[in-house]
Amino acid sequence: MRPVLFDQPVLSEARRLIESHGLRFEPEFDDLVGLFDDGQLVACGARAGYVLKMLAIEPSHQGTDALGELVTKLILSAISAGHNTVFIFTMPQNVASFEALNFRMLVTHGQTALLEHGPGLEAYLAIHASQITQGSNGAVVINGNPFTLGHLHLVEFAARQVDRLYLFVVREDQSVFPFDVRFRLAQEATAHLPNVTVLDTSRYAVSAGTFPSYFLKRLDEVAAAQMQIDVLLFAERIAPRFHVACRFVGQEPLCETTAAYNKIMAEVLEAHAIRCVELPRIMAGGLPISATRVRDAFAANDFDTLRELVPSATLAFLQSPSARPIAERIRSKMEKA
Amino acid sequence: MQIRRKASAGTMQSSDLMVVVEPSDALQVDIESTVKKQYEHLIRARIASTLEELKISAGHIQVSDRGALDYAIAARIETAVRRASGE
Repeated sequence: MRPVLFDQPVLSEARRLIESHGLRFEPEFDDLVGLFDDGQLVACGARAGYVLKMLAIEPSHQGTDALGELVTKLILSAISAGHNTVFIFTMPQNVASFEALNFRMLVTHGQTALLEHGPGLEAYLAIHASQITQGSNGAVVINGNPFTLGHLHLVEFAARQVDRLYLFVVREDQSVFPFDVRFRLAQEATAHLPNVTVLDTSRYAVSAGTFPSYFLKRLDEVAAAQMQIDVLLFAERIAPRFHVACRFVGQEPLCETTAAYNKIMAEVLEAHAIRCVELPRIMAGGLPISATRVRDAFAANDFDTLRELVPSATLAFLQSPSARPIAERIRSKMEKA
Repeated sequence: MQIRRKASAGTMQSSDLMVVVEPSDALQVDIESTVKKQYEHLIRARIASTLEELKISAGHIQVSDRGALDYAIAARIETAVRRASGE
């Protein structure tokens, strides 16, 4: 009998199948598909945004085209949700199975491999080809939630050291300031610097929010694996194409996660012959300037403090009516915390 | 015929292909294939002749092929294009 696809297999059955493959069940997904043979669930897989995950196939059905059927269904569901390119994070031993489905390897490290299917990285690089200039270029990657005088200081310093500075703004929308605002403020605040080009990272900045952890045995490996994949993706696939010889980062005196990230980054970049320059934070009112401080002051309507923390472009936006819902969101987040 | 909206056809099973078509000002055909090295020129030619028969001169066509035979390529392209044209 030919297996039939269903969109919503019994959740507990899917969970059992996923866990019997040594994977962890992550309840966050937009779609879950199952493959049934004679009423039995024999394979399943899920999609969260543009990331496919938790693909599991019963041993009795491995070597059939079960994977092709699952991936077809998940990719069609991703396409109708607007994602022409999909990611899969998997174990290195599964890479060949996905390459046989026209997935391309992006980066691999330890127990993690990241592959993509669709126009992907090559299309992203083609779109930005006209903005790429030769020379010894630099890069700064920011979330910019929102753009501060600290960011500006880092960008102005970096721009003086290189031929062209690429300022990458993280596309992933997991911040209170939406991507289009974060991007526009970065552009406006750096408009006076002729050798700075502001770009979006597309999907090629792997945040903790995107990175699934279901295939890693130990949860304490997750943060380190995510950072490694993110920095390797930059060092191996992005930096060489933009002729980036140096990456500039702001020193992290407060946040432990960011401090750990900067340490891993410096090691990986150096191994790829990219210099990593860490710049001390500038201060205001005796404390380092950070986007967190800006959000706190904004939530408290403290514009006297904000004037000392942000450039005029950001200040103008914060004073505009369109910023009001963002202040509300920050306040409601603070109440929950 | 005209590509008016996003549509797809086919599967990613062995010996089949998946086609996604979208509106675009120019004609662009992107091909991924497990047999790309040997057969890309033949796959491209078959897609071009099928699009010509359907009088398609603009659109973004993405193909993920797993070694489909040429009549399967033509059939999947035609189906995706007809779906995208609203027929």
